[in-house]
Amino acid sequence: MSEVRIAAEPRTEFGKGAARRTRRAGKVPAVLYGHGTDPQHIALPGHELMLALKTPNVLLTLDGLGSGTELALPKDVQRDPVKGFLEHVDLLLVKRGEKVVVDLPVNVVGDVVPGGRIVQAEVQVSIEAEATHIPESVDVDVTGLAVDTQVLAKDLKLPSGATLQADEETLIVQIVDATVSTEPAGEAEGAAEAAEGEGEAEGE
Amino acid sequence: MLIPRKVKHRKQHHPKRRGMAKGGTKVTFGEYGIQAVEPAYVTNRQIEAARIAMTRHIKRGGKVWINIFPDRPLTKKPAETRMGSGKGSVEWWVANVKPGRVLFEISYPNEQIAREALTRAIHKLPMKCKIVKREVGES
Repeated sequence: MSEVRIAAEPRTEFGKGAARRTRRAGKVPAVLYGHGTDPQHIALPGHELMLALKTPNVLLTLDGLGSGTELALPKDVQRDPVKGFLEHVDLLLVKRGEKVVVDLPVNVVGDVVPGGRIVQAEVQVSIEAEATHIPESVDVDVTGLAVDTQVLAKDLKLPSGATLQADEETLIVQIVDATVSTEPAGEAEGAAEAAEGEGEAEGE
Repeated sequence: MLIPRKVKHRKQHHPKRRGMAKGGTKVTFGEYGIQAVEPAYVTNRQIEAARIAMTRHIKRGGKVWINIFPDRPLTKKPAETRMGSGKGSVEWWVANVKPGRVLFEISYPNEQIAREALTRAIHKLPMKCKIVKREVGES
């Protein structure tokens, strides 16, 4: 579990003009809420925050707030869709020892049997864990799994202290036959739809 | 080719091209995707050409998703026609694509082949695009 210390400063002016000024100064506007407290508007250093958010479910230790040091988890991150820079971050207040529900990335490890292909149905799985001991990821080992094998959520080996929150029957990974032609989505359907649609849309 | 089954109004105004994509900006289904960098009207013919370019390159063992749909009709008056006499007839069906939108996604075990397939598809599209990879776990 990674914990990153970051210097936060309270924001006193709001709105898009103020937010743009904050971003021009190399900072990211953020809001901190949770535990029934009033939301606190803060600004965080852009580069440090960007590096911290590369780790999934990173625990941030915020310094420089009026109430002292606070622990927070990123709840929602808004990015520019093309450039990818941070626009705004929602942070959720947590306490040491508190249990939180987070989404963990699923990593597929190992080599698939010859003639098989991995189909990863879910890339994230929801778990409950202690806020200060959130695992980084869940590994699924596909070594030796035969074709047509399914790995469900209940089959995952979760790290100690973590409990599954997702439906136990959720399909995570499936090994399919690679030699069978997998007609790309919409190849056959698309053609049929187009044939039907052309007549109606043009006939109106 | 993709075309709406039925439409409420058969002729529409041109869709607005300003602004950025509001949603559909991340790779959701596959592992790699094509993201628009500029706004454009993508016609159903271009979507089909891009799809064929991808599927013919990966042959088998992969999957392709099309995330856009050409639901906006564009009209055109015949050549050498005087102005007036109403709006022209529907000539194209287009998807109004804005910067940031992920147009196609692909899932394939070999990254190099997947990227080459996407590059071939980009060549069929009318705007600048980039290849994006699914970021697992990044907040």
